[in-house]
Amino acid sequence: MRLKVPFIIFIFCFETYLFAAEAGMPQLDAKYWLSQSFWLILIFFILYLALSRFFIPKIKNNLDDREKKIKDNLNEAKTFSELAEKKNLDYENQILNAKKEVVKIITESKKQLDKSINQKKQQFEIEIEKEVEKAEEEILNLKKNSLGSIHNIAEEISAKVIENITGEKLNESSIKASVAEISKKKIDKYL
Amino acid sequence: MAANPMHQFQVYRIGPEIKLGNFDLSFTNASLFMLISAISICLFLYFGSKQKNIIPGRLQLVAELFYNFIAKMISDTAGSKAKPYFPFIFTLFMFVLICNMIGMLPYSFTVTSHIIVTLVMAMFIFIAVTIIGFLKHGLKYLSIFVPKGVPVVLLPLITIIEIISYLSRPVSLSVRLFANMMAGHTMLKVFGSFVISLGLLGGWLPLSFSVALTGLEILVAFLQAYVFAILTCIYLNDALNLHH
Repeated sequence: MRLKVPFIIFIFCFETYLFAAEAGMPQLDAKYWLSQSFWLILIFFILYLALSRFFIPKIKNNLDDREKKIKDNLNEAKTFSELAEKKNLDYENQILNAKKEVVKIITESKKQLDKSINQKKQQFEIEIEKEVEKAEEEILNLKKNSLGSIHNIAEEISAKVIENITGEKLNESSIKASVAEISKKKIDKYL
Repeated sequence: MAANPMHQFQVYRIGPEIKLGNFDLSFTNASLFMLISAISICLFLYFGSKQKNIIPGRLQLVAELFYNFIAKMISDTAGSKAKPYFPFIFTLFMFVLICNMIGMLPYSFTVTSHIIVTLVMAMFIFIAVTIIGFLKHGLKYLSIFVPKGVPVVLLPLITIIEIISYLSRPVSLSVRLFANMMAGHTMLKVFGSFVISLGLLGGWLPLSFSVALTGLEILVAFLQAYVFAILTCIYLNDALNLHH
């Protein structure tokens, strides 16, 4: 710019010498000034009309449309993300509830199990007691029964022993009496 | 023809002579390139706004980039009150930019390198801004020449300076654009003719200059369009928001 100003001044000075000459500035030749102004105003006016009526609104529309579309899309994305967050929260709540329920169910079933186990245990204990009593009774009976057979066996054995030792048969009744006597004395120790 | 660097700015008639009374309104090469620029803008914006993709294509992206660029520039410099003037400033920016850019093509004509063209645009802006100012604020708009917080002693001087600077707005606005475009293209032409005259041996240096200058000129073409538009916004801001 600074370089150009002296240059312009030079051209202007040059012009004063050679005004309207071929070597001068055609810009200062007034011959076509009116024509240039006329065509400039005409063309510029038409261009202005075309741009302001047609092209500028179109570009503005395009820009507005784009902005609106982007805004809409962003809003949509926002609502969707909110929805997703909500769903996620619901899902987490559901899981939490389910976990609570599971714990509840587990404790309940444990209680029930304990209860039933206790019941069964008691039942079994009662039954076992019964069985034990029965068995004791049986044992007692057996003991009682065995007393008689012990007498018999003792008599037989003693008869045989005496027979073998003496070679004579003893009287059964005497053997019985002696065995009974002995067993009366001693048998109480074992029974 | 190529020897004269100013020859590229020559305006000549194309087609029949159109006369309106005493006024010559013939269609010239300048008119032709104005028309080409306007049609290019329309085509560019047509294809740039044709599809309605969420992810814009290349042309659509560039068109929307320009739109947002100008919209941001206006809201930054002149505020929300300047919104109704958006189409005008957008048209102005696009027209100046495309005229400058098309001027960069070889054998083309740079519409904005003519003082009359830039002056007409600048005068239109100047008059329009002044009318808007008076319509919005009435005679209070004259207070634009009286800055706040200035000592009373200096006030007459400052006011005169303000009036001069206000009146010189269209001149500075138009000369800035015209001079930049003309100087750039003249320089390009001068270096171009150096390439020819120095030949195969010595022509490489001016050629490299020419290449560098072309890049610079494309930057200047964009920059001047931007400056033209942003200064319009600033003038508009003065008219809309008095003593902001």
